Amino acid sequence: MGDFEPRIVAFLCNWCAYAGADLAGVSRLQYPPSIRTVRVMCSGRVDPLFVLEAFKDGCDGVLVAG
Amino acid sequence: MFDIAGIGKDRIHLAWVSSAEAQRFVEVATTVNESVKAQGKFDPKAFSFELAAAEMTLAGETLRWMVGKEVKITTDGDVYGRKWDTASFETILDAVLEREYQKNLIYQAVKEGYTSVRDINEKIGLDLKRISYLLADLEKTNKVGFTGMKDRIPVFAVL
Repeated sequence: MGDFEPRIVAFLCNWCAYAGADLAGVSRLQYPPSIRTVRVMCSGRVDPLFVLEAFKDGCDGVLVAG
Repeated sequence: MFDIAGIGKDRIHLAWVSSAEAQRFVEVATTVNESVKAQGKFDPKAFSFELAAAEMTLAGETLRWMVGKEVKITTDGDVYGRKWDTASFETILDAVLEREYQKNLIYQAVKEGYTSVRDINEKIGLDLKRISYLLADLEKTNKVGFTGMKDRIPVFAVL
């Protein structure tokens, strides 16, 4: 359990969090590799069903950031 | 919703990060990672009933209709002219959500071959009275039907 690496699906808004994540990459800030990014044009685009689908496909957590 | 389903709402995080805040994104990503790590692995197979019922509930018209009408009902009142404040509307919404979810859970159980009230109770753990009550509701909407008696136990099937 100690080295368990979770799989987290992150729905990131193109204009806010995605750009933030991009900047984090450009400025060489380290963030956990467990985050799998899905870019959406707005975090309002994220339907609760997307979250459910992610869990159905076996991810361990979901992050919605806008 | 995820709490009702036993998955736990702590697996889902919502955060606001502006495009200029790379540091903030890193913080959020790290917190979420730690939190999910602490909760351990999620096994979708163990939750297949719950996930299917949750999906039916979210895709169903009842909930979407209610959420869509929220602003209208809390600002202008309902068709009977009654005023609702946000808190009481949310309470009703939660109750409806739970009811719809439980109905869909029963539907899933019947679909997978748990055809008597007692079988359903053993599978999903809801109490017997609640199951009978919701089954009657499912019958009314023609989702589940009564197919006959077997050893003096009523048997139900998905229509």
